[in-house]
Amino acid sequence: MDIFLQQMVNGLTIGSLYALVALGYTMVYGVMRLINFAHGDLVAFSAFIGLSVYAQIFGESATSLGVIITVFALTALSVACVGVLLERLAYRPLRTAPRLSAVVSALGAGLVIQNSVMLIWGPNMKIFPSNLFPSTIWAVGGIVITFTQVMILGVSSVLMVGLYFFIHQTKIGTAIRAVAIDQDAAKLMGINVNRIIMIIFIIGSALGAVAGLFIGSYYRGITFDMGWMYGLNAFVAAIMGGIGNIPGAMLGGLLLGLFNAMITGYISTQWAETFTFVLLIAILVLRPTGILGETVAEKV
Amino acid sequence: MFSKLTVSLAACSMLVSASVAATNVIKIGVQAPITGQYANEGQSIDNGVKLIVDQYNAKGGVLGKKIEVVTCDDQGTAQQAAICAKKLVNEGVKAVIGSYTSGATEAAQTTYNRAGVLQTSDGTSDSLIAHKYWTFFRNSFPNSAEADYTAKYFVDGKQYKKIVILSDYSSYSTDLADATIKALKAKNANIIYEGKIKSGSQNFTATLTKIKAMEPDVIYFSGYYTDGGLLRAQQMQLGIKADFVGGDSNDNPDYMKLAGESAQGTLLINVPTPDILPYDIAKTFLVDYKAKFNAMPASIWSLMNVDGLRVILHVMEQTKSEDTKVIAEEMHKLKDFPGITGPVTFREDGERTGGGYMTYEVQADKSYKIVYQ
Repeated sequence: MDIFLQQMVNGLTIGSLYALVALGYTMVYGVMRLINFAHGDLVAFSAFIGLSVYAQIFGESATSLGVIITVFALTALSVACVGVLLERLAYRPLRTAPRLSAVVSALGAGLVIQNSVMLIWGPNMKIFPSNLFPSTIWAVGGIVITFTQVMILGVSSVLMVGLYFFIHQTKIGTAIRAVAIDQDAAKLMGINVNRIIMIIFIIGSALGAVAGLFIGSYYRGITFDMGWMYGLNAFVAAIMGGIGNIPGAMLGGLLLGLFNAMITGYISTQWAETFTFVLLIAILVLRPTGILGETVAEKV
Repeated sequence: MFSKLTVSLAACSMLVSASVAATNVIKIGVQAPITGQYANEGQSIDNGVKLIVDQYNAKGGVLGKKIEVVTCDDQGTAQQAAICAKKLVNEGVKAVIGSYTSGATEAAQTTYNRAGVLQTSDGTSDSLIAHKYWTFFRNSFPNSAEADYTAKYFVDGKQYKKIVILSDYSSYSTDLADATIKALKAKNANIIYEGKIKSGSQNFTATLTKIKAMEPDVIYFSGYYTDGGLLRAQQMQLGIKADFVGGDSNDNPDYMKLAGESAQGTLLINVPTPDILPYDIAKTFLVDYKAKFNAMPASIWSLMNVDGLRVILHVMEQTKSEDTKVIAEEMHKLKDFPGITGPVTFREDGERTGGGYMTYEVQADKSYKIVYQ
């Protein structure tokens, strides 16, 4: 039983990371009907930016709540800027073009970001300092939980709940939902669609930045090409939950993390990725709209 | 008219002299992971080779010719290794130093053999000498030698009762794990789990949690330092009390950085580290290396590769020949060449004889203490 619960903790931790990244995919898709394949590389970029911010401004030994908040805020800010730039340069000129052009542009933008990271920080693995978070470990019964895990679970839950209320309770949230349903009608209602899309990219990138920093501080070793793996898993999570659906992305991420941990723990490492994609295919066959996705009646 | 003729004549003579100059160098290839996961090791091999070549060139080269180094980055992958092999053969190299990983070395072997290009690598996978290529020489010791040592240490030294063996999917790691399992079984040791992790996947908690329930005495990992450091850190986080023993490829400064505080108490099995090599040439080499690159070599592996180069250049001078066939024959006959990493002798299949493994315990300040020899 202990082992099962420990696998749950492991799975939920990585699941929250997937969920944070998946939100970026799902929000952009919801509003623009575009799979932003550059998002995974943006996450990798944020891990590197975060490491530089930490090492350059505070030196690698500083540790306090203020430092952590500043590092997270500065990283989120700079990654959000890159996200907005990405939309301006790679997606806005193609907004009326066929959808395939935008997908190709997304893949290209991902490669540009990945290679820029390689050129700036080099191709070698970079190592996060171990003291960004305290190394406290709690043992509850037979289960072990680290401070970093608690932070990951806590902060991502708060962010996800906050995002849900932001989308459903605020004026901007209502405007985002309106743009997601029909861009032209939203325009006629006086909504500035460009501004809404910019906000989407800011939020998505900032969440990705938080995920990137958590990946860095949890796993320590970061490489310029790691974005692909997190991007792909988060993409699967977004599809599982129902792409375009915000609670769906969170649920999809958590489920995928749990699923991965259980397969690795009880079956084998070899099969973890295979099973992920078998699960994806199964969901697409049995419930094409994803777990929480709804079939919206198309206008005729 | 006349001036045009002079110009073209001059151009012609320049071309001729250029082609004459081209045959006046001996090209040595380096195939190593200059970028990618094992970049730290690859760059160190490249540096080591260039240092020796500079020293030779300063003395007038070899056989009256300058030595030129051609480096190709195989990124530690088989695909890139195959590309590198073709490129280096086309460049006309006489010998290739590398690569670091067994997988990349094996992928390039056949191409070098067909072209009659000598290759010397620190790859430890036993399969590397299976082809018995006359062009291939191992400058390190095979996995089976390390496996026998590890089994002896686990059973006679530590008397472990419950052993866990972890490897990744690379040919080196699989081969070392298989050899170790074989050696342990021959000593009737109790292996309770044989598992694999996916290199570079960062998250090993699921596998480790499964292992925790088995309450092992030791977790032995036969993969590379980038995964080993994380495995050790995550093992300590999960509170698994077993010893962590890393195979030779965990012996790298980045292992210490990745494992952080958890590095302390780790046991690493390897041939002697560069700084405790007892030979005078080793001491001189390390001083020169430090002076030129302002750093220590990444690990003993760079030095093994440097020894590979030194043997080839030495034999070239001895035989006064550039013919790789002649050089290879002489290399097989060589007895106890004074290497940086100890005496070098090759068997007929290209295997380097000897071994001399040690176990180090990592101290709180990341220094080593020899605990078993």
